[in-house]
Amino acid sequence: MDTVVNDFVQVLRDHRLRVSPAESIDALNALRNTGIGERETVKDTLRATLVKSGEDAATFDRLFDLFFSMRPVAEKPGARVRGHDQDHDHGPPPARLELGEEAGGQKPEDTEHTHDKDESTEMRRFFEEERMRPSNDVHGDAERMRLSMFSQELILNRKPGAMESALQRLTYHMRLRRSRNMFNPGGLVPNPGGEEIPLDVSAVDLEDLIGHLHELEVDEAIVEQLEAQAENILKGLPDLIKQMQERDKLLKKDAGDDSEVRRRALRKMLRFSASEGREMEAAVRRIARRIQGARTRRLKEDRIGRISVPHTLRHNVRYEGVPFDPVLRKRREGKPRVALLCDISLSTRNLARFWLHMIYQMQSLFSKVRTFVFVADVAEVTQVLEEHDMNRAVDEIFSGRIIDADVNSDFGKAAGQFRDGFLPTINHRTTVVILGDGRNNGKWANPQALEEISQHARQVVWITPEPRWGWSLGSCDMPLYEPICDRVEVVRTVEQLGGVAEGLVKARA
Amino acid sequence: MFESIQEVRERLAEQDYVSDARLATVVFLATRLGKPVLVEGPAGVGKTELAKSLAGAAGRDLIRLQCYEGLDEAKALYEWEYSKQLLYTQVLREKIGEVLKPAKDLSEAAEILRGQEDTFFSENFLVERPILQALRSEESSVLLIDEIDRADEEFEAFLLEFLSDFQVSIPEIGTVKAKAPPVVILTSNRTRELSEALKRRCLHLQLGYPSGDVELEIVRLKAPGIGKALSEELVRTIQGIRELDLRKAPSIGETLDWAQSLVVLNAKDLSKDLIESTISVIAKHDRDAEKMLDHLGVNAADTKHLGQTQPTGENPSEAMYEMHRSAHKHAH
Repeated sequence: MDTVVNDFVQVLRDHRLRVSPAESIDALNALRNTGIGERETVKDTLRATLVKSGEDAATFDRLFDLFFSMRPVAEKPGARVRGHDQDHDHGPPPARLELGEEAGGQKPEDTEHTHDKDESTEMRRFFEEERMRPSNDVHGDAERMRLSMFSQELILNRKPGAMESALQRLTYHMRLRRSRNMFNPGGLVPNPGGEEIPLDVSAVDLEDLIGHLHELEVDEAIVEQLEAQAENILKGLPDLIKQMQERDKLLKKDAGDDSEVRRRALRKMLRFSASEGREMEAAVRRIARRIQGARTRRLKEDRIGRISVPHTLRHNVRYEGVPFDPVLRKRREGKPRVALLCDISLSTRNLARFWLHMIYQMQSLFSKVRTFVFVADVAEVTQVLEEHDMNRAVDEIFSGRIIDADVNSDFGKAAGQFRDGFLPTINHRTTVVILGDGRNNGKWANPQALEEISQHARQVVWITPEPRWGWSLGSCDMPLYEPICDRVEVVRTVEQLGGVAEGLVKARA
Repeated sequence: MFESIQEVRERLAEQDYVSDARLATVVFLATRLGKPVLVEGPAGVGKTELAKSLAGAAGRDLIRLQCYEGLDEAKALYEWEYSKQLLYTQVLREKIGEVLKPAKDLSEAAEILRGQEDTFFSENFLVERPILQALRSEESSVLLIDEIDRADEEFEAFLLEFLSDFQVSIPEIGTVKAKAPPVVILTSNRTRELSEALKRRCLHLQLGYPSGDVELEIVRLKAPGIGKALSEELVRTIQGIRELDLRKAPSIGETLDWAQSLVVLNAKDLSKDLIESTISVIAKHDRDAEKMLDHLGVNAADTKHLGQTQPTGENPSEAMYEMHRSAHKHAH
């Protein structure tokens, strides 16, 4: 079972969900408590333990349905190829096939079930047919459940390597290197009457395997059993192979699609991988902490403010409790007010995504951030960023529903609109941050509007992706705007951004 | 605490809390694995109610910690009772003099005093705050940490030790370990993203708006006076309204408020007049109210006079106020 969970976790990680090893251990512990008899319960259990954010839940649901969509071909004495991963680290398990089976006869191990500490009857019912044996192995119940009799007897016969090599050959023949784990998950949806598909594959392979087994001098009885089961195995295989390939394809295609969209979206230097996203988040978070560290909403000791009784008492113990020296505390103005204006025109499209990611992070960390986007018109997108997760929000902004993102940028008009429409939103405590390249396409620059904005704001910071020498080229109005702004910064990477933001904090302090 | 998932559902149902399989599974796991549960979802979907019902169902005490910005461990964990300490020093002054009498010089006196320090930093002078209370209670309790997203990040970090090991370290006393580990329920409205570390330690439960059937059941349980036809109509209306693009979609809390106000008003069915005059119970923003009325086909001409000044939609008492007000308006 742990292999299955591990593999599933791996799939989740491939789809950019962050699942820690501790969480997958939790998931296993949880499954031990709930049993795996009911599909929905298993789903709920895994969701509760592995998925920790609302946005990921949808991905999880989709992947769960996909991953656990396999059905067992034959529930009763039939073939079971099952994943087997002996080293229980939580890394990617080796691609290895192992053939187990439920032998039809002789079950002296039945009594061993009483030693099984698992109380879930559902689980026991489910695994009953697998005739589990208690193994001496430290990995406990999960291990016990996984090892079917056949493979275990082989191990007892000290021929594990032999079995493996035989199986690997079989695997090779069938080109099924990635078929681990497909049966266990299928087992979650017991469906005895699997469809029968005319067998046209692998009869040769199976005989081959049996031949190998003979060669390997494994216990004759087992080989006979295997032969007896061969028919079942053969019946099952084609179907299983097909299903498995389909599922693999689906899982892969999904992942592929995702990355494709991502690549198209964030071209060239600003490709946002999950790790970069995390880095960005961490950078902004660090900045936020610095800012919050400078000004918090907590009560701080101050020269003016309310008397704090506990602090005064403690402080005045030295005067025998006579409050000579009252301690005053005051609530200070918290987080900074920031208004962000982001140019999302074509010329800065590459960077706009980067900026919006940054803005998204800032908005989720600071309480008083208002975000506007502009090309020629200005629109507020604070709400959009608040309501959707980052990628959705970015897509929404570029969808053209909010403002027409495909016209030529016009800073003059945008500044004018902002002055007319949104000036009341900024005050002497607000820092206005403008993200744009200042390329006006020959239109009126309207520095007066920016001037007015700057008079109302505490400071205006312009962040441009273009280095200073580029300003004189083409229709760039940066030289006009620069004197109005308190600072102009050139930012193209996350590190540079960190530098600017720290400068911002210093300027405020 | 519970034997099966089914039992969780039944016992919660006894507390008039309607749960689905997912919720029951998570609660069951929380009690079995001894892990905290992080419940996220919009306001008014029964996050806090879950903790209360769970405490009721399990017959445990509910200890509640309401989070807010600036909450620190003095409010959440423990505080020294300064005034009592001070009082004791005053009263015991003579005794202290006596104790110190044999001391020949200051350093010796200080030495003696140091030996007595424990007296003043003992549990006698400790004011227990919710977390410590939950740790030290003889019987396992249910600890509700409400709206954790409102607390500062520092506080979140402070919770980590408690959540993973059910212990806290108090400098003067040492580590306090839980006698009987509490069941911890954290709720969040997602006003901000919680840290990975915190999430990793919790089971996660996302609560959303309920389906029509579930909501109907809840309405019948919580607003028993309401007629069958009316309750169905009400739930259908609410479910329709949630489809709209609103700033604050009505949650179960609002549905219940509405149902209760209809009961107070002795309504038989949802007439247009009635909707218009009671829309303020479920709409917390002017614009939302207009949208809802449009959607329901009620003439929205008068909606401006609803007199909603600056509703935030955050404050539950606001809903109550609105409800009472509208109830009054029609009672006379």
